[in-house]
Amino acid sequence: MTDALNPEKTVIPSSKAGAAAAGLLLVGLAGLCCADVMQHHQDTSGVYSLHSYLVNFCFFTSVSLGALLFVTLQHIARAGWSVTVRRAAELLADNLAVMFPLLLPLAVTVLAGNFTLYPWTLPEWADADHALQQKQAYLNPVFFVARSVGYFAVWCLMARYFLRLSVRQDRTGDPTLTLSMERLSPPALILLVVTLTLASCDWLMSLWPHWWSTIFGVYFLAGAAVGALAQLILLVVLLERAGPLAGEVTIEHYHDLGKLLLASVAFWGYIAFSQYLLIWYANIPEETAWYHPRHSGPWGWVSVGLLVGHLVLPLFALLSRWPKRNRLSLAFWAVWLLVMHWIDIYWLVMPAYDPQRPPFGLGDVFCLLGMGAVYMAGLLWRCRNRSLVPLQDPRRHEALDFHND
Amino acid sequence: MATHEPHRPSAGLAGLLAEFASAEAVRAAASSLRNAGWTHWDVHSPFPVHSIESAMGLRRTGLPWLVLAAGLAGVLLAAGMQPWTNGIDYPLIISGKPLLSLPTSVPIMFELAVLLAALAAFGGALVLGGLPRYGHPAFSSLHFRRATTDGFFVFLSAEDPRFDAAAGQALLQSAGAVAVEPLQLDASSGRAPSAVYWALATAAVLALLPPVLVTWYRARPKPNPRIHLIHDMDFQEKYLPQGSSPLFADGRAMRPPVPGTIARGTLEADEHLYAGKVAGQWAARFPVPPTAAMMERGKSRYAIFCATCHGLVGEGGVTGITSARAVKRREPNWVLPLSLHTPAVREQPVGQLFHTITHGARTMPAHGAQIPAEDRWAIVLYVRALQRSQNATLDDVPQAVRPQLRP
Repeated sequence: MTDALNPEKTVIPSSKAGAAAAGLLLVGLAGLCCADVMQHHQDTSGVYSLHSYLVNFCFFTSVSLGALLFVTLQHIARAGWSVTVRRAAELLADNLAVMFPLLLPLAVTVLAGNFTLYPWTLPEWADADHALQQKQAYLNPVFFVARSVGYFAVWCLMARYFLRLSVRQDRTGDPTLTLSMERLSPPALILLVVTLTLASCDWLMSLWPHWWSTIFGVYFLAGAAVGALAQLILLVVLLERAGPLAGEVTIEHYHDLGKLLLASVAFWGYIAFSQYLLIWYANIPEETAWYHPRHSGPWGWVSVGLLVGHLVLPLFALLSRWPKRNRLSLAFWAVWLLVMHWIDIYWLVMPAYDPQRPPFGLGDVFCLLGMGAVYMAGLLWRCRNRSLVPLQDPRRHEALDFHND
Repeated sequence: MATHEPHRPSAGLAGLLAEFASAEAVRAAASSLRNAGWTHWDVHSPFPVHSIESAMGLRRTGLPWLVLAAGLAGVLLAAGMQPWTNGIDYPLIISGKPLLSLPTSVPIMFELAVLLAALAAFGGALVLGGLPRYGHPAFSSLHFRRATTDGFFVFLSAEDPRFDAAAGQALLQSAGAVAVEPLQLDASSGRAPSAVYWALATAAVLALLPPVLVTWYRARPKPNPRIHLIHDMDFQEKYLPQGSSPLFADGRAMRPPVPGTIARGTLEADEHLYAGKVAGQWAARFPVPPTAAMMERGKSRYAIFCATCHGLVGEGGVTGITSARAVKRREPNWVLPLSLHTPAVREQPVGQLFHTITHGARTMPAHGAQIPAEDRWAIVLYVRALQRSQNATLDDVPQAVRPQLRP
């Protein structure tokens, strides 16, 4: 337990971080280009590339959004246990600033009038019926891009605020900074949830402009929570091994993060099933049309795989105390759930491109790894000159002392 | 660190009650007691003290397993109950959903799991905690009242095999007790006062009153019409059968079936099978290939429906019992049934015979409503066999049977 502060230990050397970040950025951009080339090979029109890009964009953004959710919730609850892991979450949340420029390809697509991704990009799409015409006031290219920019602006400002104050407290040890963060967290949470809901509607739900689901925003939030907690667990495991978090986290932190992961998995399953059951039961073609390609054939198997792999297996695996109090076991399920969360986003997007079968290929892997490398580059860049532990948080001792009985 | 009472002999002693200043102090004391090997003792605090279980050396409770088992039982119960009641025992087609449907069962599976798990958790916690329990020696101590506000206590029970008042007191004081108080066994402390049992009995009797009153009220005839709490449900804006409607010329809300409507399964499209005709002419052949089974069927049906009038051999006249009885009673309007072996009948095509059975002829009633079409054809087949039997030649008799014939 490092009650005796050794700040240097908790920082990744800036030169190393900077170099690694630059390298990863280059690798990532190269990977994205490769992915684009490979996917153009499969589908020369480029529609497949667009959809694949959207999948990965939403995946990494959701992880950061879930981290921001985690941070605001810890401040609202005045949590003490999570203090030593909170910096990792703050950095993940601040990484939204890296996802912001990655919005560009989607914005350009929509503004250029390329309707192959979002059908409503074409003004004539609404001529089909009155309902679509009503939606046109919301679903039009300029407003869409303006909203997306707005979401990222709000998110980046909030994430940067929490990170900035937290980092400032490392130097000054001023407890009123904690009070400031607590004061902002309730409106921040409300704003986050609203913008997250609207973002999921814009980026994911509008792929089927006829369809809607009022629980879609909650579904996306639940998935983001799963992804963020899984990512946070992996980060904490890696940082503990690498040194910066050694002695700052105990097995109790893993237990608590595992409990939150279990809860978010159960929550995701509940919301996912609620969305399905109501639509299945009402059996109205306008609503079931979205589930129709996902109900049978190859996509049907993906749906079953999500049910079993995203809900049933992790739920029962993480139910018991011991899998959560074991770093290896928890890291395994964290990786598993990150994969499942990616498949979830894939399942949300790809049937719009190919309703018959999942068009998975090497291009998808390159896109994922490429964007992942860019994401990691952003994360490492943020780690420069910053401690990975809130060194002078007034509740740090609670984090080091607490026990799950 | 003085005791409150002078030292008393151990006989009649329930145990020792030690008071501590803080949660940390009582936790430390718990560790000491555990290390000293005491087994029958407990900690009383106003709030759960962190890590007290490990300090006390308490075994992990099996309650979570009980809760899991109850939860799974709830899932299985709901998963079995819904498909059974609505899909198998009394199948109800609800808006076209499959009879055995998992998605519809899921909400109740979830709810029952939660309900049974919660009940098991609550009940299990009570039972595994030894509750309900009326008395405890600690209640005889005035200081113990602080246990629900700011007092931390350890109670060392005299039931412990190693119990010794002096040793116990010394150990507790060395563990940091602010005060140690011996508690006396109270003879009545284990049972509730009789007033409690009387109150429960009275409440149970009074609880019977509402159902009795309700049953009595329901059984009485009442002069007033019933009160409709939910008017819209009781008087629904819909047309009932036999109701009138101004929308239609005939004034009926019910619309008669479209002319030509027939019940499912009654479309008799096959003219050969159902009318005995082929292209407007009497059918000369059977619509289904005759088999031995069909012949047997025909024989049994003939005996049921036809033999009473026409006789078992088909000779008509008075060979049938109905006809014999009518003649014996001298029925004035009785027409003797025909013989089936006259050339006129023998020459009729099978379709015509079928038509006669179906629609009757002259005074013979129609049997089409009583006998299904396939059975009527079976009867026709048997009648043909009868006709052959009464007009047979020696060549029709199988070789093996000929020796049995009388010359």
